[in-house]
Amino acid sequence: MAPKLIAAMVCFIGCMAAFPAAAIDGNQILQKVDRNLEPESYESYRKLIDIQPDGSSKEYVLFTIKKGRDKVVALFVSPASDKGRVTLRTGDNMWLYMPSVGKPIRITSLQSVTGSIFNNADILRVDYTAEYDVETAEEQPDAYLLSLKAKTGDVAYDRLKMWVDKKQLLPVTIEAHAASGLLIKTLHFKDIKDFGGGIKRPATLETDSPLHKGYKSVMLWSGLKKASFPDEVFTLNYLPRIEDLRK
Amino acid sequence: MISPALRRLGLVVIVCAGLLGTGAATAADEEYRFDAADFEKKPYEFGGYLEAKPQYFWLNPGSAGYNLAYPGGSSGNSVYGATGTLELVGKYTVGIATARFRTHSDIQRYNTVNQENNKFYEALLSLRPDPGLTVDLGKQALQWGKGYAQTFVGFVQRPKDPDDPELAREGYTIANADLIRNFEGPLQTVAFTPVILPVSSQVNNDYGVVGHVNSAAKLYLLLQDTDIDLMYLAKGSRPARFGADFSRNLATNFEIHGELAYIWNASKPVVNSTGQVTTQQGNAMNYMAGMRYLTEKDTTCIVEYYHNGLGYDEGQMGDFYGFVDGIFGKPPAAGNAIQNAINLYRAGYGRPNAMRNYLYAQVTQKEPFDILYFSPAITTMINLDDHSFQVTPELLYTGVKNLELRLRLYALVGGAGTEFGEKANSRRLELRVRYYF
Repeated sequence: MAPKLIAAMVCFIGCMAAFPAAAIDGNQILQKVDRNLEPESYESYRKLIDIQPDGSSKEYVLFTIKKGRDKVVALFVSPASDKGRVTLRTGDNMWLYMPSVGKPIRITSLQSVTGSIFNNADILRVDYTAEYDVETAEEQPDAYLLSLKAKTGDVAYDRLKMWVDKKQLLPVTIEAHAASGLLIKTLHFKDIKDFGGGIKRPATLETDSPLHKGYKSVMLWSGLKKASFPDEVFTLNYLPRIEDLRK
Repeated sequence: MISPALRRLGLVVIVCAGLLGTGAATAADEEYRFDAADFEKKPYEFGGYLEAKPQYFWLNPGSAGYNLAYPGGSSGNSVYGATGTLELVGKYTVGIATARFRTHSDIQRYNTVNQENNKFYEALLSLRPDPGLTVDLGKQALQWGKGYAQTFVGFVQRPKDPDDPELAREGYTIANADLIRNFEGPLQTVAFTPVILPVSSQVNNDYGVVGHVNSAAKLYLLLQDTDIDLMYLAKGSRPARFGADFSRNLATNFEIHGELAYIWNASKPVVNSTGQVTTQQGNAMNYMAGMRYLTEKDTTCIVEYYHNGLGYDEGQMGDFYGFVDGIFGKPPAAGNAIQNAINLYRAGYGRPNAMRNYLYAQVTQKEPFDILYFSPAITTMINLDDHSFQVTPELLYTGVKNLELRLRLYALVGGAGTEFGEKANSRRLELRVRYYF
């Protein structure tokens, strides 16, 4: 009996050692990351700062609303040259509305409406779980390392490597890769801040890219809070009136 | 030869750019400060832009366009001067009601003409009792259609300027509503937009035949990730017409779009080479197909093909040029014949893209050679019937906050008897300096 029991225990321990990742549920971690970053439906102000190699910078302020997993609108509040521009995303569809042109035009996720390292997919980011599956999850001393694979070819980055703080379950660093494996950009989350209403998350996101050496783009959050909006807000016909949602 | 006024204008622009540039450079020092409270909404908003646009035209003496623009005789080989423009936009919101306006004022000072214009491009009252329902009343510029350079389905709006399709345009006085509904499933959104456009001697009198209350409607569907619009304009000041357009992203960097319009009993004036004018009537179909593609090196390419079923064919255009040559080739030209030719030119033959088949292409490169905030572009409109074309290289710089500098050269290429070869000018150089506030 005893040799059989010992053999069974050895076998069990061996199995545990052979499959350490099985103890980590990557999808569950990613779901928590999504909700810790933002409530499912919210409003927020963001400042985008593009810093050039010569030190000069350009800034944009956006009022952003989101509903559900994949509906986002961003309204340019500043500077005057961009004021009133609106970008809308529902799922993989993205549009840009310019008040002078009046007609919403379709845009693509790899474009950048601001001309910065942040492209439209970054500015109109939806839940990670809406776009990515967790392929592997690995436990490191201070972080979980999640390897994410895009669910479809319509997603801006084919693969993400996401380092998640183990205590707070918030992303620390994300590497975005193309299907070829090329590193497109790295996102650094910083400055964890209490926004109130149970929302505690990084207030600063910095990004750099080996494709844009010397450039840096920064995104800052303020006024992030839970909010609810009717579905009709996330339609092309509503874009000229998004400003009315600001309080 | 640059006029003193133009020199002064240029000096003001350079000084302004310098001052603004200094302000932008110091802005970089204030790193990572952001408080949403600084951007609180006010019940009113006010903004706009101020623009200076010096231009130089190289004229094309002997062309039909030149003869009809200067029927009294020679005006030299060039036109030069500048246009100053001020556009103001504002709105005021109380409860469910929003009043908004856009004004347009310009002053044109050229060696051949001095002119001033002051207009309300838009002035309307919007009521939104529910997120899914908006009612607008007043002067409003609707924007139907998917084409970049021009659209065939803009049934209740003024045509785009193909040289600058993104310019704001004057609206019409209309009443319209927007009903929006969202759904789960492949059909995500349905929006219905009915429009009433009255035409009388006082209101919208340039839209078409006066004495009609025109009705139009647009149905928008977001169906399986494709934008689809269906439009209809009932017979009234203009013949009845049906339209449809679509737009869809095929990949993260590739978009396609298209339009189709069918017009019942459309008519156009046609002249033969002796000056006899008839009205040609019949059903017509216009359509376009286009795409936008973004390369890995941040080059954006837009290509569109236009078929204008109402346009003039090569024979009809040749007859018109023959008619104009006839009246200007044998002096003294008869005053009536000249006026007839001018009227025909304005009514159809001289309109942008007046013939049948066109190819539009634009290539824009973002920040080449690491030159920050600099985007060169080249745009062309090719007449596929007579192979004449216009090519427009452009340099755009946006490195100073709220200031936009754009330099463009329009070069028109085509022989005698071709559309672009018979325009009044053969080249145009333009600098646009626009400051937003």
